[in-house]
Amino acid sequence: MPGATTETTTGAVELHRVTKHYGAQTAVDDLTLEIRPGEFLSLLGPSGCGKTTTLRMIAGFEHPDAGDILISGRSVLGTPPYRRDVNTVFQAYALFPHMTVAENVAYGLQQRRTPRAELRERVSQALDMVQMRGFADRKPTQLSGGQQQRVALARALVNRPAVLLLDEPLGALDRQLREEMQLELKLLQSQLGITFVFVTHDQDEALSMSDRIAVMRDGRIEQLADAQTVYQRPVSAYVAAFVGKQNFFDGTVTADGGAVEAPSAVLRPTDGITAVAAGQPARAAVRPEFVELGIDPPSAAVNRAEGEVIGVAHLGEMRQFLVQLDESTALLSRRPAPHSPDLTVGQRVWASWRPESVQVFARGTATTDTSGYMPPPTIHSDEQDHPAHP
Amino acid sequence: MRRLRLPGLALALPAWVWLAVFFIAPVAVVFWYSFGYKPGLFGTHATDRLSFDRYLEVLTPTFFDTFVATMNIALTGTALCFLIGAPMAYWMAVKAPPSWRGLLLALVLVPFWTNFLVRTIGWQVILSPEGWLSQAAQTLGLPAFDILYTRGAVLLGVVYNYLPLMILPLYVAFDRVGEPLREASRDLGAGRFRTLWRVTLPLARPGIVVGVLLVYIPLMGDYITATVLGGAKGNMVGQLVAAQFQTAQNWALGSAMAITLIVIIVLSAAAVGAALWLVSWPLRRSYRVRLDSGVTQ
Amino acid sequence: MSSSHDVRILTSKAAAPIVRRELSRRGFFALAAGAGTTMVLAACTSPDGTPLPGATGGALENALSIYTWGDYDAPEVLEQFTTDLGPKITLDSYGSNEEMIAKLVAAKGTSGYDIIVPTGVYIPQLIENGLLMPLNRDLIPNIEYVDPAYLARDWDPENAYSICKAWGTTGFVYDTTVIDRELTTWNDFLDAAQNEASGRTSVLDDPVEITGIYYWANGIDWDTTDAADIDAAEAYLIENLAPHLAAFDSYPGGAAIPQATHALMQAWNGDARLGIMNSPEPDRWKWVLGAPATELWMDNWAISASAPHPEAAHAFLNFVLDPEFAVAQLDYIGYHTGAKDVEAQAREAGLEMLDLVFFTPEQLATMQDGEINEAQERNVEIWNKLKAAAGA
Repeated sequence: MPGATTETTTGAVELHRVTKHYGAQTAVDDLTLEIRPGEFLSLLGPSGCGKTTTLRMIAGFEHPDAGDILISGRSVLGTPPYRRDVNTVFQAYALFPHMTVAENVAYGLQQRRTPRAELRERVSQALDMVQMRGFADRKPTQLSGGQQQRVALARALVNRPAVLLLDEPLGALDRQLREEMQLELKLLQSQLGITFVFVTHDQDEALSMSDRIAVMRDGRIEQLADAQTVYQRPVSAYVAAFVGKQNFFDGTVTADGGAVEAPSAVLRPTDGITAVAAGQPARAAVRPEFVELGIDPPSAAVNRAEGEVIGVAHLGEMRQFLVQLDESTALLSRRPAPHSPDLTVGQRVWASWRPESVQVFARGTATTDTSGYMPPPTIHSDEQDHPAHP
Repeated sequence: MRRLRLPGLALALPAWVWLAVFFIAPVAVVFWYSFGYKPGLFGTHATDRLSFDRYLEVLTPTFFDTFVATMNIALTGTALCFLIGAPMAYWMAVKAPPSWRGLLLALVLVPFWTNFLVRTIGWQVILSPEGWLSQAAQTLGLPAFDILYTRGAVLLGVVYNYLPLMILPLYVAFDRVGEPLREASRDLGAGRFRTLWRVTLPLARPGIVVGVLLVYIPLMGDYITATVLGGAKGNMVGQLVAAQFQTAQNWALGSAMAITLIVIIVLSAAAVGAALWLVSWPLRRSYRVRLDSGVTQ
Repeated sequence: MSSSHDVRILTSKAAAPIVRRELSRRGFFALAAGAGTTMVLAACTSPDGTPLPGATGGALENALSIYTWGDYDAPEVLEQFTTDLGPKITLDSYGSNEEMIAKLVAAKGTSGYDIIVPTGVYIPQLIENGLLMPLNRDLIPNIEYVDPAYLARDWDPENAYSICKAWGTTGFVYDTTVIDRELTTWNDFLDAAQNEASGRTSVLDDPVEITGIYYWANGIDWDTTDAADIDAAEAYLIENLAPHLAAFDSYPGGAAIPQATHALMQAWNGDARLGIMNSPEPDRWKWVLGAPATELWMDNWAISASAPHPEAAHAFLNFVLDPEFAVAQLDYIGYHTGAKDVEAQAREAGLEMLDLVFFTPEQLATMQDGEINEAQERNVEIWNKLKAAAGA
């Protein structure tokens, strides 16, 4: 929508107190979110958290029950999808099976009555951009999943939208392809300078590509921050659990307010506990990569606990250990392979972690259902759970 | 490869046997008889002397006139079924709440619960000058209803009897296109009409073809609907075939008529398909995108 | 045994059940059955050998299979036969003579049917194809109760294969509110069709009945094979009658008369009677027996050449011809059974509109037997042309 908007707001998306119900169920609950022009923003959360509904409201497929949505500074309530300056890459690609790759990509331009020569030029460029130029005359069914993904991307980007919406676009790809596409997507986004709104339930995807991540829960945004902040300073046990692996210790805050006393260990953060009052139940968290293991007892200046190695796994550049602290608690530790000690199952070890790696969250009404995402530590690393680097 | 394909063939075996016994064999017998002759007053057919003579007998002005009348009703009836059935099927597959769909499909099939002839006669009763429709019209001060034994009544009966055969395949076809593709189209800037035109209809084409053939082919052979509701105005070519087999007891000539009819029905369906294909060619050409310059335009 | 029989007659004034029966006897369903028959295609060769000598009066078999028009016998008569004589009856039905013949021919003597009920004109064809068993008349003494007027017809002059089951004739019915003059002949019918009743006239959906109108009106033999006669009939019917026809309807009594769909309808007497009885305004309609000449069609009891139970079949024929059942049968189907004293019995029982069932000897003398002959193919051709012309 050129002309009416200024340079700075093109590509901005604002949601103001947006609510959406499906029957008695609230999918999006009084959500406010400002997406900056040209940024890569991920909506991260488990299924049912409202992230896809949010995306579909921006695209125009759903209409909010309350609130306002602005794209490039103008309210789009009442504007049908085909008149919004956004395009979507759909979860299952939704390529038109009766059209060739080139015709799929040209579809949006044809709707705008683009002259033939320009149309061919832009379709060629878009296909070049996703390295699919050689497949222009194929039908989508003749393409692999990754190739279809690229076509879907080209089909959306060829229209030069102010905002590109991506609805779990990498979900159907295998892991290696997914990682390649993550890199490409990020590269494309920074080249084109288009606002990307990316919906995913995969924390790695969100962490590796996003400028900012909005972690969603029950139709609300739990935390909106850059990837590093979300990873290192989650605002709640929910966010902490959802982003990356965690070792959780449930206990109570000691009388001096300086530590959480759990049955298997005492966890003392750097500067005392402010989030929870003394004597109250709390949940302390330590990421596996901050947990060091050794045969000798470490200095008492650090947090420590003794236990028995019950599992060892090699994850390429990382090595993962599972240490039984007491009957009900096992601790996960991940160390870079070259620096990890040679430990075997059955050995007694000391685990230790620095105060600055301890996070403490309230454990009460606000976070009662963190169980919604709290995978128990496991030695058999499933592929999605390798450590991510903020 | 071979080991993989065998189970598929084996699974299809009952279908092939069914087709062979109940379709191919009877048609083959009819084909064979059509080269024979009627051997005498009380014989129906003989094939000891074969010729094309029966086919020459078929092509009389009566056959031609009746065929044209039949074609007229069949084409109009098929078109009406499509014009009524397509929006209905589209609504059922796309717009209606999903929880209603089972019920809607059941309602579409309700007429099939009754014998074909009985429900056609039901319309005869309704449409007759003293029938309740006419009486209701007169109660409302409208003129007496007199459409029984007209072309309109025939078409009404045709739509009533054949509409489900159109709706069901169209419903399946529209349903299979799926919401995501329609959303993708709208996302890419196409309004509802253009989405229908460029995505939904092209993808539903196999279903449309099936629906049209399912109505057109049996309609060409049906003479009951037309006779019951059209009277003298409902003369259909199927009746000529029946007259040869039954009243004239000339199975050879009847077979030649039946074969001629099959050939003409197939040809006419193919001709309509080819015509549509040709007419839409410039349109399809305008949508085509070839990147290698010089290949098109 | 006659108590249920009496009850049956007392209820006869309720006309509605008769409609249902009439519909299935040569009624609308014959249309559907006919459509099905065209697909009954099997090798058709005359069974070789001569028909079996038939029954000798030995012990009855314990079963009997009857292949007849739908709902064509009073159930209590059939039940009485089983009660009195033992054989259990199995009924099967057909909608046209052609259907029945095709089935017998295709079965090559293994059809399993004992009794069939062909219309007279088809009997020569059945005999020629060896499908009928000669009757042992010694076992059917009750033939003496059949009026001789309905025996020895052209198609079986000796009654060697068949005995009258029921018969009817052809005339027309007209709406006196539309046609206020008196119509008495086929010529009147043709005239009214082209004037007052134009576009509201129906004729029977049968080739020989349609050409019959012209022949009967003009004093030409109905069974003519003379090409000049046939050409004249064709020319007249197509040029003068076809443009005025609204329908080809063999059973106007089913719907057209009760619903006043047409004003002038060629009809069989029993069907016309039912239609008028079922009309909300019976006085509106007038029946005219075709004149100066018209037809007499007759359905006949006959025994299949391959009958597995010939003794029981003969016993049944003798049983059903007993005068005791004549009125029950007549009341059930609405056509004359051919029994000698049935008219007096029917009047005594109070059946309605008997002038459409019984005819005077003078009227009877004007009724001709039909015949399937060389003209059949031309008749069908004219019929088809007429339909094409009327539909245009």
